[in-house]
Amino acid sequence: MNGVFAAISDPTRRAILTHLGRRPARVTDIARRFPMSLNAVSKHLIVLERAGLIEREAQGRERICRLNARRFREATLWMDGMREFWEARFDALEAHIARKRKARP
Amino acid sequence: MSPDGVTPPLVVRRTFAGTREELFDEWTDPEGMAAWMCPGDIVSSDVQLDLRLGGALRITMRGPKAAYEHRGEITALERPSKIAFTWIAKATDDRPTLVTVEFFARGRNQCEVVLTHENFPRPEARQQYEGGWARILERLADDRDARQG
Repeated sequence: MNGVFAAISDPTRRAILTHLGRRPARVTDIARRFPMSLNAVSKHLIVLERAGLIEREAQGRERICRLNARRFREATLWMDGMREFWEARFDALEAHIARKRKARP
Repeated sequence: MSPDGVTPPLVVRRTFAGTREELFDEWTDPEGMAAWMCPGDIVSSDVQLDLRLGGALRITMRGPKAAYEHRGEITALERPSKIAFTWIAKATDDRPTLVTVEFFARGRNQCEVVLTHENFPRPEARQQYEGGWARILERLADDRDARQG
């Protein structure tokens, strides 16, 4: 799991993962979507590949990137559940405060 | 940072109507907390809070089939800006994690509450939670939007 959380701690890399979650994409297509050089995008892709979050394969002259769903799922599932727990507590606290305000004379 | 050095903290933030004092007091009132510490199918919660530095926190959440214990110890208590406590539960593999809740004044009578949950056990132990792929990605996108917004 080493490197996974470091890899997803960067907003650009999370955006790349979100994009690849929809469908696999060519490196050049990914680069076009972000306001940075092909070289900078490649560096992000290398970090994601080393963390096992994406796979890259050659298809002719193109490099296709795809999400390694299982790996990604392992890394995010628990945190997702915990976030949901606290978000729901905030909802309940909000409702609690509203009820108290209403009850106030 | 966590014991394994890679798990980043989880940060959840929300702006509420109310002053910092009001919001802080909600987080230190066992009776009130029992009302909003009832996740999912939990029917009732019992909150015990020894409100002092080093004091114990115990929340028992009772569901239709089982009860879930959460316990910890207060590690920071600075009204109205911050409360922190350790958080030990089945969901944390019974290992101590740290929850820090900070209160910031935002505009007129608004308070932003920023909750940071950190020191998570290793992610391999996280299989117990179910969640859909699409939802995870939506979360990522929301998270990113929130950062950019």
